[in-house]
Amino acid sequence: MYNLRLTPEQLEIRDTVREFVARKIKPAALRPERLEAAEQPLLVDVLDEASQLGLRALALSEVAGGAGADSLTSCIVSEELAAGDPAIAAVLGETWTLAHILFDRLMTPGQRERLLPPFLADERCHIALAREEPGRDGSLGSHYHQPGHNDPAFTTMAIRAGEGWIINGLKHEVVNASFAQLFVVAAATAAGGTSAMLVPRDTPGLTANESGPATRRRHGACGQILFKDCHVPAENLLEPEGQSKLGREIARQIPQQLAIQLGIGRAAYEAALDYSQIRVQGGRPIIEHQAIGAKLADVATRLATARSIIWQAAWASDHPEAFADRSLPDLPLASIAKVFASEAIYHATKDAAECFGAMGVMRDMPLAKYVHDALICLHSGEANTDTRLRIAEAIAGHRRADACAVLAAE
Amino acid sequence: MDFTLSNEQRAWQMTARKFAEEEIRPISLARDAIADARETFDWDIIKKGSKLGLRTLAVPKQWGGHGTDFVTQALVMSELARADSAISKTFSQCWKWSHLIAATCTDEQKRRFLTPFLEDDTFLLGKGITEPGAGSDNRLPPDDPKAGLKLRAERNGDEWILNGEKCFIANGSVGKLFFIDARTDPHVPLRQGTIMFLVPRDTPGFRIGKVFNKSGWRFYQNAEMIFENARVPHANVVGPVNGSDLKTTQAGDRTGGDLFGDLELAANALGVCDDACGMSIALARTQQQGGRLLFDQQLVQLKLNRMYCLTEALRSYVMRIAWEHDHKVSSANAGLCMNFSTDVIQEVTEINLELHAGAGVLDAWADKLVRDAMIWSHLAGDTVQRMKPTRRLAREMP
Repeated sequence: MYNLRLTPEQLEIRDTVREFVARKIKPAALRPERLEAAEQPLLVDVLDEASQLGLRALALSEVAGGAGADSLTSCIVSEELAAGDPAIAAVLGETWTLAHILFDRLMTPGQRERLLPPFLADERCHIALAREEPGRDGSLGSHYHQPGHNDPAFTTMAIRAGEGWIINGLKHEVVNASFAQLFVVAAATAAGGTSAMLVPRDTPGLTANESGPATRRRHGACGQILFKDCHVPAENLLEPEGQSKLGREIARQIPQQLAIQLGIGRAAYEAALDYSQIRVQGGRPIIEHQAIGAKLADVATRLATARSIIWQAAWASDHPEAFADRSLPDLPLASIAKVFASEAIYHATKDAAECFGAMGVMRDMPLAKYVHDALICLHSGEANTDTRLRIAEAIAGHRRADACAVLAAE
Repeated sequence: MDFTLSNEQRAWQMTARKFAEEEIRPISLARDAIADARETFDWDIIKKGSKLGLRTLAVPKQWGGHGTDFVTQALVMSELARADSAISKTFSQCWKWSHLIAATCTDEQKRRFLTPFLEDDTFLLGKGITEPGAGSDNRLPPDDPKAGLKLRAERNGDEWILNGEKCFIANGSVGKLFFIDARTDPHVPLRQGTIMFLVPRDTPGFRIGKVFNKSGWRFYQNAEMIFENARVPHANVVGPVNGSDLKTTQAGDRTGGDLFGDLELAANALGVCDDACGMSIALARTQQQGGRLLFDQQLVQLKLNRMYCLTEALRSYVMRIAWEHDHKVSSANAGLCMNFSTDVIQEVTEINLELHAGAGVLDAWADKLVRDAMIWSHLAGDTVQRMKPTRRLAREMP
């Protein structure tokens, strides 16, 4: 059934988070002195308050002690949080996503019993995924429509040592790197394929470094993790050796990452809409000039269209049966949403900033931040050039065993 | 049509290229990274450039300057911008207002102001128009007397008393002499009740406020100006009292103060685009992906194609405008070229960043070019700046 109506629970959580963002996040995130500084440290107090609202465990099942939010609900919350601060949205989103994937889907009962109680007990317990590596060339580019392999093995290695494993390697672009209490690490082993290891922060041999602003490519206290002879017990291997489905699980969470961009775009749009009704030039509020009115109409159009495709991709991920019954087209909706939304939202923030004239490029004003935040999203993760090629392969029926951007139907 | 450069034009181009590569490029990224907007400026680079003539390039020969033509100026601006857009703009900002001095000042004023300007390597020029409530209203003034700049000028004997403030004024915190537009009569529309003054930095009652902290063009100093009973001698009035709009309609040489600004932004954008193209093609020809050069991919070639198409089209347009200025051909084209340069610089720098990010290369320089290009949105490509040349086009149609 085609139904665009949100549930009472979804509306309630949206209103709660929106109110929290207006009251707590925006005033802290948009202080001019903060915006002007070379670095914007994570708003830890606000993060803690958001965790106390239950957002840290948003997508964790109710049975396990979370709020059991589905992908669409996660999108709604991500957008609201990111309208206040994309870093907070990224940190919480990473934790609630990984909590769901690990505790609800991938861990053995024994692992869950051991690791879930400390996660629930400590409001500051966050989770990070250490997957990307400097120099690891995972792009599709040259491999487009070739039978070859485009998902090279990780250089981070886990070697068997007695009853456990010893991990060595360097990971980068790790969201939550600087304060996560639990890391899930993608590594190669002698068996081949990808294995995932659970590594608590205090494990000797694990060192975290937060990236400087110049090299930051992702929102959310992003950084590098170095593993040097890092010893983990055998029971910390997630899933059977060499058969990790983590990449595929992560790919299903793309829509809520896109919702972060939506939040950035919406914040820019709302600021421009307010300003254009106050700012008078040419004898009238600038929104009454065709040129600005049409620009804001474009911004609204881009955001509404982006939200539609992001929500559709999220809903599709929540309702895989909708492909089987032919309600949804057999298309890689999340990839389609990523390409469209990231470009549309970047342009929307630029247009919104232009309504502010010179104030649109001032660091102490929010608009320059929104444009910058949208630009980071545009170049986070897989490049759109690659995502386009993945869509092209998918619609041509070219199947890859290792594809991250699988058809939603799969 | 002859596109060859004269020996003199070529010599200036080479001087600028060498200075840009050897002196500007090595400091560019470090100045950009300084968090305090007031501290990004570097006098050393200004002095070095000044000794080469890059500050006084546009002052007519009869007044002791280099008297270069517009083609030379366009070449030099883009060569400098190739290494740093904002440093190029800091130099050319001086040319913009030396054009205005040459076009509008009396001989007595020229003697008084051009002499120290020529002698002092740290003498920079600026012009204050924009105010907190008046940006585009100054560019496309409506007839409403309430619209436009508010800085008040009242006559008191041989002096004028100025009260009010300006914002975003280029070279504000580093300039020694400013042209300042002020209102003599708040009850008539902008074009009828405005005077342009020459205001030296040490004028009593005149001070600089904050320096604006921009995301791009960080070297370039845009500052607040505050006038509290600032006393300016009547001898510093430029042109007739209430002549207003001098820089556009009564300035004599119309390709001077007014249209230079349009050419300036377009030529500067060209240099940035050259830099971005150079970076991208070098990356494509050296970076491997999946065991092959990036350049081997169709999508990479198509991106490079787009960058070069736009950049070379802009080069042709910029050089044509420069040539037209030299031949006293005045048209809406300079404004159109400036508008076009906004689209070009933003698309070209965005593709450059995309190519680098897509190849997994975190490049702070590519990021800087995108931030610098963002400045064009409100200077050269906003809707008011686009309507201006369009209206002129319609006005000048037979």
